[in-house]
Amino acid sequence: MQLDALGDATRRAILARLLDGPAPVGKLARDFPISRPAISQHLRVLKDAKLVLDRAEGTRRVYQLNPQGFDSLRDYFDQFWAVALKAFQEKVEEESKEQ
Amino acid sequence: MADHTADTPVRKSITVKATAERAFRVFTEGFDTWWPRSHHIGDAPMKRAVIEGFVGGRCYSEQTDGKDCPWGQILEWDPPRRFVMAWMINKDWKFEPDLAKCSEVEVRFTPQAAGSTLVELEHRYFNRVEGGEKMRESVGAPGGWTDLINLYAQQVEKESQ
Repeated sequence: MQLDALGDATRRAILARLLDGPAPVGKLARDFPISRPAISQHLRVLKDAKLVLDRAEGTRRVYQLNPQGFDSLRDYFDQFWAVALKAFQEKVEEESKEQ
Repeated sequence: MADHTADTPVRKSITVKATAERAFRVFTEGFDTWWPRSHHIGDAPMKRAVIEGFVGGRCYSEQTDGKDCPWGQILEWDPPRRFVMAWMINKDWKFEPDLAKCSEVEVRFTPQAAGSTLVELEHRYFNRVEGGEKMRESVGAPGGWTDLINLYAQQVEKESQ
């Protein structure tokens, strides 16, 4: 089921987008040139394949990567730290500029 | 890539245009200012992430429901050169109070030419985390998730060159 879920370019792009952090459906619909129902359909496939998790935040439904979709904890943190250190670098350099 | 075993550390490094003092301070005291908001293990949204700067200091998230959610502990503290923290999270993303079952994160800050700092991060001892080596098998589905991530990372590197 995961292979099917990954067999679609839009779904791969959605996953790539979620690597940068969780996002509500509405935001994803704005970021991709397809309708909101189409985004929801793709997210349902990804959720059924256990690649993403969703949770309610107020009235919004927010999607994020499912860490347990990874081969191992190690593989998860391998991608996680790459994203987190980039965020750290941006913050440090932003502060340096202000001074 | 798939031949990495659970005891292979994750090593990442990045050079920042800032002194080691500032890089260390932003990483620790300023942790909340850059930490990806999605990454918390609590049962309520995270309000603020805190690292207490001393050996034995706690790493925790303040939640919007007023409760604190612990996820780490400082093991070594040597500002502005390095620190080590226990990463007290199990494979089900719950708090793990037993340090013998926790992975560990070391971060080193090394001054470079022209006021830059090399920040090296090592996340190790995944083999201590019960079940951490076989997460995908635990959800019972084969797939190419990890390979996809690698492809994506290569793409990002290509675009940034």
